Amino acid sequence: MKKRIFCTAKRMAALAMLTMVLTVGSAPAAQTVYADMPYDTYSYNYWTEDVIQPHAYLYTGSLSADDFQTKLNYPEDMFLTEEAVYVADTGNSRVLKLSLTGKVLMEWNTAGGEEDRLSKPQGIFVTEEGHLYVADSGNGRIVEYDAEGAFLRSIGRPVTDLIDSNQMYTPVKLVVDKAGRIYVTAYGINMGLLEFSKEGVFQGFMGAAEVSVNPLEYIWKNYFSTEEQKKRMETIVPTEYSNLFLDKEGFIYATISNLDEEGYLSGADAIRRLNPTGTDILRRLGNYNIIGDLYNSSEDAEWSVFRDVCATGYGCYFILDSAGGKVFAYDYDGNSLFIFGDKGNREGTMRLPAAIGTNRDASIIYVLDSQLGEIMQFEITEYGSHFLGAMEKNNRGDSQGAYEEWQEVLKQNSNCELAYIGLGKTFLKEGSYKKAMEYFELGNSKKYYSTAFYYYRKEIMQDYFSKAMGLVGVIILVTGTVIGVKKFRRWAGEVRCVMEKQ
Amino acid sequence: MRYGKTIKYAFHVIFHPFDGFWDLKREQRGSLAAALTFVALTIITLTLEKQKTAFLFNPYRLDRINVMVDVITVLLLYVLWCVANWCLTSLMDGEGKLKDIAIATGYALFPVILLRLPMILISYMLTSGEGSFYDVIGVVSYLWAGALLILGTMITHQYSVKKTLLTCICTIVGMGIIMFIGLLFFNVIQQMMTFVSTIYEEIRFR
Repeated sequence: MKKRIFCTAKRMAALAMLTMVLTVGSAPAAQTVYADMPYDTYSYNYWTEDVIQPHAYLYTGSLSADDFQTKLNYPEDMFLTEEAVYVADTGNSRVLKLSLTGKVLMEWNTAGGEEDRLSKPQGIFVTEEGHLYVADSGNGRIVEYDAEGAFLRSIGRPVTDLIDSNQMYTPVKLVVDKAGRIYVTAYGINMGLLEFSKEGVFQGFMGAAEVSVNPLEYIWKNYFSTEEQKKRMETIVPTEYSNLFLDKEGFIYATISNLDEEGYLSGADAIRRLNPTGTDILRRLGNYNIIGDLYNSSEDAEWSVFRDVCATGYGCYFILDSAGGKVFAYDYDGNSLFIFGDKGNREGTMRLPAAIGTNRDASIIYVLDSQLGEIMQFEITEYGSHFLGAMEKNNRGDSQGAYEEWQEVLKQNSNCELAYIGLGKTFLKEGSYKKAMEYFELGNSKKYYSTAFYYYRKEIMQDYFSKAMGLVGVIILVTGTVIGVKKFRRWAGEVRCVMEKQ
Repeated sequence: MRYGKTIKYAFHVIFHPFDGFWDLKREQRGSLAAALTFVALTIITLTLEKQKTAFLFNPYRLDRINVMVDVITVLLLYVLWCVANWCLTSLMDGEGKLKDIAIATGYALFPVILLRLPMILISYMLTSGEGSFYDVIGVVSYLWAGALLILGTMITHQYSVKKTLLTCICTIVGMGIIMFIGLLFFNVIQQMMTFVSTIYEEIRFR
């Protein structure tokens, strides 16, 4: 009986201590808990597992019909400038210019004259001078308005033999580069982007998506399958671009959304960064392909469908996935930074996201939801700003600043492999190779580990090579002498033998 | 001391296989104990390799390694090879007894230990640029062991080259068949057990 009481007392004490530890442990964490966010933020680690991390962006509200004083009907595109948001309100055949608080500043619609009457516009672009370009899909043309909103010109169907005359011409998305060249995607045209000169003259196609053929499939198709089978097999068609974004350096990010299962598994590129000659220059140095989610977890789940993309000035880019309602953030090298967002009916989840944009410093991400007719706003957290800050400082060459940012990131997320690699790079630059190796191992980067190890080995060699060689020399000398003496003695003995015989 | 001598004899076998395997059987210069030691050492080598190879050359994830998997894989393959080979060669006029086969197979594993064990240490001195060196040694160790296995079979059973190759292929097929039958047997037993236990429960609850 006594023993049992003692036991209970001990247990009580243990419980009390546990509670104490728990309260102490949870106190500092309490300040950054956002349990009410309707989505998780995560990323994939080296072993392709999805790992939860702190929220990088938080849903803070939407610009909705209450703010606009008018309803949007399936808007398809959005363009952000410093002081305004342009929305292509496709269902209502109009384009709106909104202030950042959602007030309608200007409107282009069907009410105008014959030449600037819009019909189902699906893509918009605003140049630095404030000129608005609209892909007026229903009318099969591109319209340009000046900064005051006045009609300037329209560019119709390209005059070329490259497009079949029976084919409809429906421009969908467009960008205009600094030289005034217009790049357009159009329905059913898979030869690449249509390129128009500054004057609106068709120049040709650019950045055609390549057709990749599996050699086995090719042989099967051409030599072994019957006519019936051939008919049933789908023809190989190059992919079409789904959206465009012009970054600060003048390169065009282009997303591809019509990949099939095989395309995802083989890692076909779902996004490209095209230079003016149409070559893909996107860096793909990450651990895995840039296809959004790496696997579809359940039977009815879908692969990510890249609907839109926007990039920051320092090479990070955000891709909008319309299938899963997610935003994927990648860095300049193609490493996955974080993934957030979800589809659903709760506030803060997406229904049918159509376009994405950020403000200048990427502190707010705007997502246009086509079905809701709202512009959702996601604001950056402290964690997110350290994360992106590290990228930005790294891009500027400020390695000390990046070092501090990475430290902050690690404080909140000790699973962040990129942070370990980032810190390792700083140590590598400083010349503390041993420490760099440690961090690269934590970050699972064999490539950088190998570099750090190379210098570390060199250092060791310089320190110990002469001593080691000296030791080897001494050993050789000693054994040589011993063997020599032995041999000499044997020889002397033989000589003595011979002498004695004689 | 004989045990030590039979272990040491492995060096002769791997460099002079024709002579070595002949003497293993006819002159009794090897022992089953030594052969089993080599099997155990192979298991240790493969396990150490997974756990201790330098970060640069280690594709395995330390917290997911299961030592039992290595142990069972090597042991199972060793036993299956010996048994299947013995079953086959007794029908095909082979001269080797089961013990001879077990010894020859055990000695054939020696290059794996000899090359792979030091490579664990060497992996700490190489950058990934020099990794091809590491890879080549790894491949050589397996090719060497494979060649020894074939030569061992040939000499133990006094076969021609053609017959040896045929036997080796048949042995591998035989291993598959044994595994299949084993699984089948296991499955049937399991079904029977559930059947009996269900009947027992039914009767008990009446």
